[in-house]
Amino acid sequence: MDYEVTVIRQLWLTENVFEMRFRRPNGFRFIPGQKISLLKDSFSREYTLINAQESSDLSLCVRFVPEGHLTPLLAGAKAGDVFTMSSAAGFFTFQSRGRTAVFVATGTGIAPFLAFARAGIQGELLLHGATNERELLYRDEVEKAAANYIPCLTEPSSRLQDWSGRVTAYLESQMKVKEYDFYLCGNANMVRDAVKIIDSRFPGSRIFMETFY
Amino acid sequence: MKIYTGTGDRGKTSLFSGERIGKDDIRIEAYGVVDELNAIIGAVIAAMPPGSSSPPVKSQLTRIQKDLFRVGALLATTVDSLSMGHLHLMQQDDGRWLEEQMDLLQSSIPELTSFILPGGHISSAWAHVARTVCRRAERRIVTLMDLNAQDDDAAKNLLTYINRLSDYLFILARYCNHLAGVDDQVWAN
Repeated sequence: MDYEVTVIRQLWLTENVFEMRFRRPNGFRFIPGQKISLLKDSFSREYTLINAQESSDLSLCVRFVPEGHLTPLLAGAKAGDVFTMSSAAGFFTFQSRGRTAVFVATGTGIAPFLAFARAGIQGELLLHGATNERELLYRDEVEKAAANYIPCLTEPSSRLQDWSGRVTAYLESQMKVKEYDFYLCGNANMVRDAVKIIDSRFPGSRIFMETFY
Repeated sequence: MKIYTGTGDRGKTSLFSGERIGKDDIRIEAYGVVDELNAIIGAVIAAMPPGSSSPPVKSQLTRIQKDLFRVGALLATTVDSLSMGHLHLMQQDDGRWLEEQMDLLQSSIPELTSFILPGGHISSAWAHVARTVCRRAERRIVTLMDLNAQDDDAAKNLLTYINRLSDYLFILARYCNHLAGVDDQVWAN
């Protein structure tokens, strides 16, 4: 089922990432971690909803791609403009029971974990990958998504942090070897590399993944 | 959406419920054969002779293809996982529906009095291939369920459905020949 959704506003989070807010249509339901397809002028892209379930808005975390089709339309949209949104779908939802949940995000892949945090879902560890501190989207809120929060910066502006390096390097060198439930969301290279490390270092673990390109 | 992720290049894959298992695991074999069956049913549909709108065989087969997606997802999920909550379990009604569709087809074809050789019209030949692959799927599913000591209602309904589907595909093969005006070739010793 598709819904017509009305733009409320954009909120720029960094130079090239913004939050897109729509008014929530009546009857729209979702589970934290699920995604939607957004359509406009025959272009369609998938985004994860970042709201709390009771929110009156539907919000998406969007990386601006100047040469893309949809994100310039989103970035240039005015309040009141209408887009088509599919109903929520997907299975990247919290499915752990009695296992240590480890969340791994890079870039806008933090979106489902923000939804988890806003729903009160908490894992044991969140590895939040970004280039530098400014790119740690929603840091204040997502720290609540896990008992332990590790920013994994590839170009940190200060050296005050305990850890510096990619999320995959953290997986490879810093974690105790045991069985985990891993939740991976980010670009395809990170997901592929993380799965390779998990297969060899943490056999018996479960992996839930959401990849974007 | 891209098809490739590169996460299965070393002989492992992820179940719907998150476990990483070898691609030669019996679970993968079971839902792999269900996938194979689904593809062959696509070939049956593509080969159907014209005039097959009553009974509505193509829509029956399309529903069966969707049901087989459900079966595949269920087989790709460990039973006690929370992921199972996302899925639509097989019901007794699914097996009954197949029985009703068989009755519809059977009422329009001649009574069978002896064994027949698989073949005839191309659509009938594909339906026979589908029937035998369906039996293989059933054998793999039984092995999987025995290994997991699985005998809950959902598992029983799934097995009933696959068992009924083989019967349906046999009737369908005969119906396809009937529709195409081709006589079933009787086996004579």
